[in-house]
Amino acid sequence: QSTVSGTVVDATGQMPIPGVNVLVEGTTNGTTTDFDGNYTLSGVNEGATISFSYLGFRTQTIPFTGQSNLDVTLTEDAAELDAVVVVGYGTTTKKDLTGSVSLVGEKDFNKGNNVTAENLLNGRVAGLTINTGGSPGASSEIRIRGGASLNASNSPLIVIDGLPINNVASGGRSVLSSINPADIESFSVLKDASAAAIYGNRGANGVIIITTKKGKQGLKVNFDSQASVARLTDKIDIFNANDYRSLINERFPDQTGFLGNANTDWQDAIYQDAFSSQHNLSVSGNIADILPTRLSVSRADQEGLRKTSSFERTTTSLSLNPRFFDGALKIDFNANLSWERNRFAPGVEGSAFQFNPTQPIYDPNSRYGGYYEYTNENGLALGNVPRNPVAQLMQTQDIASVRRYYGNFKVDYKLPFYEPLRAVVNLGIDNSESDRFFEIDRNSALGTNALEGEELGVRSDTDFKSSNRLLDAYLVHTKAFGDFNTEITAGYSYQIFENENFTTGNVRDPNAAPPELTLDPDVVLLAYFARGNFNYKQKYFLSASIRRDGTSRFGEDERFGYFPAISGAWQLSDEDFLKDSNTVSLLKLRAGYGITGQQDIGSAYDYLARYGLGNTISQYQFGDQFYTIGQPFYRNAGIKWEEITEYNLGLDYGFLNGKLSGSLDFFRKESDDLLSQAPVPDGVNFSNQGFQNIGKFTTQGIEFVVDYNLASNEDFNWNVNYNVTYIDREIDRLAFGQDILVQGIAGGTGNTIQVQRQGFAPNSFFVYRQLYDTAGQPIEGAYVDVNGDGILNDDDKYIAGNGRADVTMGFQSSMNYKNWDFSFNMRASFGNDIYNNVNSGNAQYGNVFRTVLNNVPTQVLESDFVNTPDVILSDYYLEDADFLRMDNITLGYTFDEDKIGKGSLRLWTGVQNVFVITDYSGLDPEITNNGVDNTIFPRGRTFLFGLNYGF
Amino acid sequence: ESDLDVTPQDDDELLADGFFETEGAYKQALAGVYANLSLTSINDPGGSNIAGLDAGTGQYIRGLFNLENLSTDEVIWTYENDPGLRGMQRNTWSSDNPLILGVFARASYEIALANEFLRQTTSEKLSSRGVSGTLVGDIQVYRAEARVLRALANYHLLDMFGKAPFVTENDDVGFDQVPEIVGADLFTYIETELTEALPDLVAARQNEYARVDQGVANMLLAKLYLNAEVYTGTARYADCIEVCETLIGSGYSLTPNYLFNFMADNNSNGAQNEIIFPITNDGANTQNFGGTTIIIQGEVGIPENNGESLGVNPGGFGGLFRVRPEFARLFTENPLYQSDARNTLITQDRPIEIDNIGNTAQGYLITKFSNRTSTGGFGSDRTFTDTDYPLFRYADVLLMYAEAVLRGGGGSESLALEYVNDLRERAFGDTSGNITQAQLTLDFILDERSRELYWESHRRQDLIRFGLYTGSSYLWSYKGGPQSGTAIPDFRKLFPVPNQSLSSNSNLTQNTGY
Repeated sequence: QSTVSGTVVDATGQMPIPGVNVLVEGTTNGTTTDFDGNYTLSGVNEGATISFSYLGFRTQTIPFTGQSNLDVTLTEDAAELDAVVVVGYGTTTKKDLTGSVSLVGEKDFNKGNNVTAENLLNGRVAGLTINTGGSPGASSEIRIRGGASLNASNSPLIVIDGLPINNVASGGRSVLSSINPADIESFSVLKDASAAAIYGNRGANGVIIITTKKGKQGLKVNFDSQASVARLTDKIDIFNANDYRSLINERFPDQTGFLGNANTDWQDAIYQDAFSSQHNLSVSGNIADILPTRLSVSRADQEGLRKTSSFERTTTSLSLNPRFFDGALKIDFNANLSWERNRFAPGVEGSAFQFNPTQPIYDPNSRYGGYYEYTNENGLALGNVPRNPVAQLMQTQDIASVRRYYGNFKVDYKLPFYEPLRAVVNLGIDNSESDRFFEIDRNSALGTNALEGEELGVRSDTDFKSSNRLLDAYLVHTKAFGDFNTEITAGYSYQIFENENFTTGNVRDPNAAPPELTLDPDVVLLAYFARGNFNYKQKYFLSASIRRDGTSRFGEDERFGYFPAISGAWQLSDEDFLKDSNTVSLLKLRAGYGITGQQDIGSAYDYLARYGLGNTISQYQFGDQFYTIGQPFYRNAGIKWEEITEYNLGLDYGFLNGKLSGSLDFFRKESDDLLSQAPVPDGVNFSNQGFQNIGKFTTQGIEFVVDYNLASNEDFNWNVNYNVTYIDREIDRLAFGQDILVQGIAGGTGNTIQVQRQGFAPNSFFVYRQLYDTAGQPIEGAYVDVNGDGILNDDDKYIAGNGRADVTMGFQSSMNYKNWDFSFNMRASFGNDIYNNVNSGNAQYGNVFRTVLNNVPTQVLESDFVNTPDVILSDYYLEDADFLRMDNITLGYTFDEDKIGKGSLRLWTGVQNVFVITDYSGLDPEITNNGVDNTIFPRGRTFLFGLNYGF
Repeated sequence: ESDLDVTPQDDDELLADGFFETEGAYKQALAGVYANLSLTSINDPGGSNIAGLDAGTGQYIRGLFNLENLSTDEVIWTYENDPGLRGMQRNTWSSDNPLILGVFARASYEIALANEFLRQTTSEKLSSRGVSGTLVGDIQVYRAEARVLRALANYHLLDMFGKAPFVTENDDVGFDQVPEIVGADLFTYIETELTEALPDLVAARQNEYARVDQGVANMLLAKLYLNAEVYTGTARYADCIEVCETLIGSGYSLTPNYLFNFMADNNSNGAQNEIIFPITNDGANTQNFGGTTIIIQGEVGIPENNGESLGVNPGGFGGLFRVRPEFARLFTENPLYQSDARNTLITQDRPIEIDNIGNTAQGYLITKFSNRTSTGGFGSDRTFTDTDYPLFRYADVLLMYAEAVLRGGGGSESLALEYVNDLRERAFGDTSGNITQAQLTLDFILDERSRELYWESHRRQDLIRFGLYTGSSYLWSYKGGPQSGTAIPDFRKLFPVPNQSLSSNSNLTQNTGY
């Protein structure tokens, strides 16, 4: 036996690579390289094979023939089979993966003005859809494989460096808005249950694991800066001032007295060109050769297209990653601080398209801050009329300041007395505090009692505090028995969430509720978990896990559940008959099965017999006295988690030496015991509806990914990537087979446009079938009498499509030629419908005169409809919303190092939201709200310029 | 693992046993049972503890008003795009109609609250919590009140649906599919409950304002007996007369000014002597989007913007309500009624007919309910009104007595005439509107009830009792759909059991015709 040492460097830069795994194959004898890429391995037998493996590099195996020095050069691996993939409670390599997991590393991130982390991923992962609003720093609707629930959360669990974060936005723009995207190294997207089951009753909607950047060897400084301007791309089609005058003269000759002399484009008046900038500075290195450190600071300033809206964020992030005892003791410390200042602008789109275009924005005689408002003979604002949208924006201050700190401290210790065993403890914390200040000016027509001439305005404060603390402790046992490799992980996890909310209410309203402090009951989650990963000859893989998971949201008898998963893979391409093929470089079959759960429901603690005490505005009078009332809450002693069973069959492939690679996955997800807002027998409980475990629905789908290196040589590289997902969702069972009407719309109080019905997709549109005359013109209020009973009522509505896409696609192209780089990405969506609520609720002549004259969408010229109540539930307003969008196009130039002295400099420019191709007549076919378009915060087209500098 | 046993921390949310630790909790819980007649949630007017419809629309009184008034000739709602409204006011509702769902659910919820109160106040529970002294006696009265409130909800279900889910304090809280109780059985159950509760109740007019007393229980009995023939097929007019006599002897009096009954201070302006059971409302402390708030805000006319005169904002809620021409003619056809204080019609610049329901300028308005006080002041808020809703009023007792006499229940015809003329004298300020014995007919009674009690949730019940609600003998605007009115089938005397309620309780059966 002898000792061997050496240095590992990478092939392109000849830079040392720290952390390379050096292992005598078939044994547990191994080590990792230090920060200078050096290693020493003792106890090696001649004839043994030593393997050198590292994330993103091709593994090298070298027979040991007694060399005392063995320097190794690793080359990057295009297929990245050895790429480290972070999974729950540990890591694995891409090669070892048996579940459906997508890894997106920094080099694959979307370019452009990505203020929130999830936008780095949009369109990059099959089965993952991200729909981000248009407001600055906006939150996103994130869905993995369409989500799994009807009434409970459909958002995936997000884990940052091992810390599952709270699913509550807590005053910020979103749960991800306080994270600096530039601090993120990679995302792992756990899509199927066999991968997510290790997160037990929180894994139902998949998991997104975010890994932040760490300090590395060698001092590195990076500076990124970018500036951008966004412009409005489109407006709602309404009458301009002159056309409006003609309309009124023609159709409403009695009301011409309401016409003014101004020519106001109210939509132009509420929007602005929005300027934004982002700056990131990071320094990383290895302090005193013992303390790898990364420190970053960032600043983002973003204006919104809607005037006054803005998002400002400052973050600092510190990462310390010391290693001791030859890497046997690894300590990781991450601390993040962020400050967010959001100014929210009220949604004035509705007032803007309704407001009479012949009236001015300003009125020197107005008592309302100089803004024009409709007034009565006393000069006081009228009720039940639109308010000046510009005044609403300018006279409202709605500002939330958020302070958040989160981070974790992780100790990973390889036990000296028993080498195969590692012990890992991870402590995490995520605290956030937000103060939201809300004021409407005293001279606003929207103020309290403004219609009575009082000048009170509105004023309220809301403070929100949330805290999330985590303890994970687990053991990892790694051992090989000949060609049979095992890794067993077992551990315990404890997490507690606390929220409190203080609101003053409207302090200027004498009859408003008084200040109120609300303490949510703590949510405690604890779990025991175990997982085994096994493989034989790195060809046959098996992974099995089980988690026993408890939540305080459910009663004693139901709070614990078992969530098992099993998956396997067969690396066909390593079989003898394919091993030497260059045509087929990778072929791996995967199959998985698992059960995950869902416990994140709106109303926790339904299992307890609780009484609520009423608010002061909800008292009841006996005699001369008002009594605080006590009423029991809805009770369900047997409430428990939803159970999602998922099957996944996958194939990973690589051809032509890895030039062409990708994967194909089939999945089937059965969500059972759905936590639905379901009817309760009347009179036996304290509501007629409540959360119950009733209902089932199935999601099936196919995901296909192909990645093609069209060119790869010194001067020219071109890579394209395409993914497509097909999803089919159907409700199998609802409580008592009963339809549930959902999705309120504007235009009437309490109208709904969608239904949950057995045999159909969730949130299907539920409408009347419009009748048309021979000229193809819709006949107002005439519908098909579906059941033929001569009466037109609810029984005549039918199901007409839904707002979710059947097929979504993403396409990316990135190329570089010498110093130039050029990339773009596109997304497409097919099979989704939109109910155009802007038209259905407004584009009727009956809305033109209501106390005053109002504008309406010009769509009324097509329909010639008069009465909103007669037409609002017509399928006439359902539109096809397929679209193809180019998200981003970027061109950059990197200066040669010798031209700028030291370091590297890249300048780039790009356009975001380049174009959308769609038949949809509204502003934007990509909306949330289950496909109901009732005005949106528009997405602008953004022009960007930026630079990256590093040395 | 014991960490998973969390308890509520908020001072407004308590475990049941913790809540009842304080002695005041019993009255708070009782207030909770009453409050469901006025409030839609314990938090704010935008919240609702029943689901399936808009919070305000699901308020108890608003639901009652929609089914008892809006489905008749007395009123029309402008905005037919609000779900369920078109079907309701055109008598074409289906079993999916959310307004009907709201009433069934809200009344059932009242039963559940009363049952819970009875469960939490058994003598075993009280002694185990160490409740003693006068409170034990008070709680006995509370319990009797809760039983009357439960009977009230059952009466509403009987009247509108002909049946109810049969659930008492002996049933568990949860998901049991309880049996239904129908027609005569339900009638007898309500009658028995009221009779049993009566001895434990405070004498009429002796309890705190707005709490149930023997007067309320007797009033309910009177309504039951008056409509017994509709409910069970067996007339009980003699019993009706007997209970009315008890009520007439209980010290109630007509307030001199008819309109005082419907004002912001109707709890103190003298109307409290006439109102047998008010459902309280308060602009500062009891806020909801139903009850008198929706009625008064909805009375405001567009383009009149007359909200100020009604004590709310000038535009109110944008012209929700007008009256149909058939009702208006009760006051306009005979010029006599121009001097009737009950005639609150606004007719100026308005056509009596409504060609287009969405046009707020057509049809007459009324101004019966107001958020102004008897001294000309304003209620405490311009959105939420102070006016208590007079669910039962002494004037109705007098009219019931007269009707029961005319229907052959015995009693005194001359007293009947006297009582009716009492109402007329109050209305006209003198005897100019008095009628003769010969004029006192059933047809007169029906019209007079509408003139006296319009918008007080009696009209549908009255029209059914007089055989005019369904069929074609009386057509009013938009009855059955078209403006000219059309016959509606007899099965529409009862509302359908909501589909949702049927599906969640397989023991409930649908009413014939639906």
